[in-house]
Amino acid sequence: MMKYLDHLEEWIITFLIGAATLVIFVAVVHRYSAGLPIPGLQDWLIGLNMGWAQELCIYMFVWMAKFGAAYGVRTGIHVGVDVLVTRLPETWRVKCVLLGIFGGVLFTGIIGTLGTLFVWENGMHYAVFSKLGMALPDDVYEGPTTPDLEWPTWVVYSAIPLGSYLMSFRFLQVGWAFFRTGELPHHDHGHVDGIEEVVAVDSTEAIEEYEEHKFDDAGRGGVK
Amino acid sequence: MSAVTTELELFSKKKATTILLCLIATMAALSVLGNAGIVFALLFALMLTGMPVSISLGLSVLTFLFFFSNVPTEAVAMKLFTGIEKFEIMAIPFFILAGNFLTHGGVAKRMINFATALVGHMHGGLALGGVVACALFAAVSGSSPATVVAIGSILLPAMVKQGYPMKFGVGVIGTSGGLGILIPPSIVMVIYAVSTNSSIGQLFIAGIIPGLLLALTLLTVTWMVAKKRNYPCLPKASFMEVARTFRESIWGLALIIVVIGGIYSGLFTPTEAAAMSAVYAGFVSLVIYRDLGIKDIPKVLLSSASMSAMLLYIITNAVLFSFLLTSEQVPQELTAWMISLGLSKISFLIFVNILLLAAGNFMEPSSILLITAPLLFPMAMELGIDPIHLGVLMTVNMEIGMITPPVGLNLYVASGISRLGLTETTKACAPWILVMLVYLMIITYVPVISLWLPQLLFK
Repeated sequence: MMKYLDHLEEWIITFLIGAATLVIFVAVVHRYSAGLPIPGLQDWLIGLNMGWAQELCIYMFVWMAKFGAAYGVRTGIHVGVDVLVTRLPETWRVKCVLLGIFGGVLFTGIIGTLGTLFVWENGMHYAVFSKLGMALPDDVYEGPTTPDLEWPTWVVYSAIPLGSYLMSFRFLQVGWAFFRTGELPHHDHGHVDGIEEVVAVDSTEAIEEYEEHKFDDAGRGGVK
Repeated sequence: MSAVTTELELFSKKKATTILLCLIATMAALSVLGNAGIVFALLFALMLTGMPVSISLGLSVLTFLFFFSNVPTEAVAMKLFTGIEKFEIMAIPFFILAGNFLTHGGVAKRMINFATALVGHMHGGLALGGVVACALFAAVSGSSPATVVAIGSILLPAMVKQGYPMKFGVGVIGTSGGLGILIPPSIVMVIYAVSTNSSIGQLFIAGIIPGLLLALTLLTVTWMVAKKRNYPCLPKASFMEVARTFRESIWGLALIIVVIGGIYSGLFTPTEAAAMSAVYAGFVSLVIYRDLGIKDIPKVLLSSASMSAMLLYIITNAVLFSFLLTSEQVPQELTAWMISLGLSKISFLIFVNILLLAAGNFMEPSSILLITAPLLFPMAMELGIDPIHLGVLMTVNMEIGMITPPVGLNLYVASGISRLGLTETTKACAPWILVMLVYLMIITYVPVISLWLPQLLFK
C-alpha cells in the first residue's frame, strides 16, 4: 500500500516535469514553424492555438512543486539551518529535531485545511452538489475558471490541499521513524548518480600512485 | 534535516544553556522593536531548531498572522498557489533539468579537453584548464555545485595523478565552480529577478563581464601560485589539436548561443530559453554523446523534479513571508530608518556585503536572496543603486557563501568528490576566499563592470 503511494508520487512528479518541458518546447517550435511559408502545413499550424501552453506549464509545475515537496520530505532534501542543533547534547538534539518535524506537520496540516476550505468555497461545493443533484444554498456560486484553458480553478488549486496533506503525512512518517530509530532521511547534496563510484576508485588510485612517486625526480612537479 | 557535520565539537550542557539563553535574550530584544522584530524573532527561533527553511518561513507567517494581526489567515493558502504562478519562475526547474542532463559526463569531459588544449602548456596547465572549463560549463549551466561536480569529478583525479596536491586542486575547482551562478544562465539570478521584479535577460547579460573578470582573476592567481611552486605543464597542443577538441565540444558550447543568443535576440523569453536548453541538453547527451540511455531519463527527471520542488517550495513560502513584511510596511520603515541615519551609498553597500556574507555562513543562497532581497531592494533604490548592479553584487556574495563553512554547498560537493574531510576542504578553499573578497570589493565599488554591457545592449 505504502509502496504504491511512494511510486505514485514519483511517477507524478517525473511525468509533470517531463511533460511541461515538452509542452513549452512544442509551443516554441510551433510559434516559429508557423511562420514558415509551406503551403498547407502553415495554415494547419496557424489554425492550432498554443496559447494555453504557458498556463498549462505553470499549473504542471505548481503541482510538481507540491507533490515534489512531499517527496522531498521522505528523501530529506529540504535544507534547514543545523549549525546549532547538531552541536547540542544528544537528548536536547532529539527534542529539537522532533520539534522541527512537529512544526512541519503543523504547518502543512494548517495549509492543507485552509486550502480545502478555499477550494470548497470556490466552486467545489457547487460542482459536487450540482453533480449529485442536491439543493444548493443561495450563497454558493459556480467558481471561476482559468483564463486560457478555462478549467475550473478549484480543480487546479486542489494541488494545495492534496499536496499539503500528503506532505503532512510524510512529516509524520519521518517523525515516527526518527522517534523509533533516531535516523533522519538525508539527502547528500554532494552526491551525483553514476559519477561517484568511478571517481572513488580513480582518485584513491591516483593518490596512492602520487604517494609512491612523490619523492621521485622523474619529471614530476609535485611537492618535493 | 540536512547535512550532518560530524566534525564540529559538541557543546557541553552548560555551554548549550548559555548559548540558548543568549539566543532567547536576542529574540526578546528583537521583539521589542515592534512587529518587524517579532516576525524576524519568530523566523530565527524556528530556523534554529533545524526545521527546513521553507517551513520556518511559512510557520512564522502563520503564527504572526494568528496572534499579532488582523489579516485573515485564509489569504495564506491562496497565496501559496498564486505566489509561484509566474511564468518567469518556471525557468528554474528547466535550468535544473538542463544542468542535470549536462553533469552526466559527456559535455563536461569535452569542455575540459578543449580548455586544457587552450591553456595547458602554461604553468599549472591542468589547474588553469580547470578554471577555463568551469567558466565554459558555467555558461551552459545555472548552478555552482553542478559545475563543481561536472568539472571536479573528472579533473581532480587527473590533477592528483599529475602530482598536484589534492588541496590545491580542491581549492581551485571549488572556487571556480562559483562561476556557475555568475556567468549566465544562473538560477540565483532568476531568483533575484523574480523577487525584485527585475529583468532576467538584463541580469544575465550583466553577469558576463564580471564572470569573465573573475575567471581571469582566478587564472592569474592560479598561474602565479603554480609558477612559484613549479607545478607541471602539459605539452603544448598543436593548432590542429585545439581545433579538434573545439569541434568535439561544439555541441555543448552551442548551448551558450541557445540561451544567451535566444534571450538577447528576443527569440525566446528566459523561461522558454531554459526549456529549450533542457530539451537540447537532453538531446545532446542522449543522441550525440550517448552518455545517457533512455532508461536513465526517468532518474534524471525525478532528481531534477525533487530539487526544483524543494526550491519552489522555499520560493512559495518566501513569497508569503515578503507579502507579510510588505503588508506590515517593514521595507518602508527600514528604508525610512536608513535615510534618517543618513547612510551613504558606500556604507550601505558595505553593510549589504557584511550582512550577506554573514548569512552565507548559515543558509543556502536561494533562501538568503529570497529573504533579504525584498528588504534591501527598496533601500538600494532609494540610494540610487542600479537594480542590476545590486543583483550582480548579491550573486557574488552568494558565491563566496558557497565556499565558506559551515554551510557551503560547493564545499560539500568538493569534499564529496575528493574524499577530503569537510575541514580539510575548507582549509583548501580558505586562501581563495581572500581572492574572492578582493574581487567582491571591485564589483561593489566599480559598478561599471556590471552595468556597461547591459546598458550598451539594452539601449
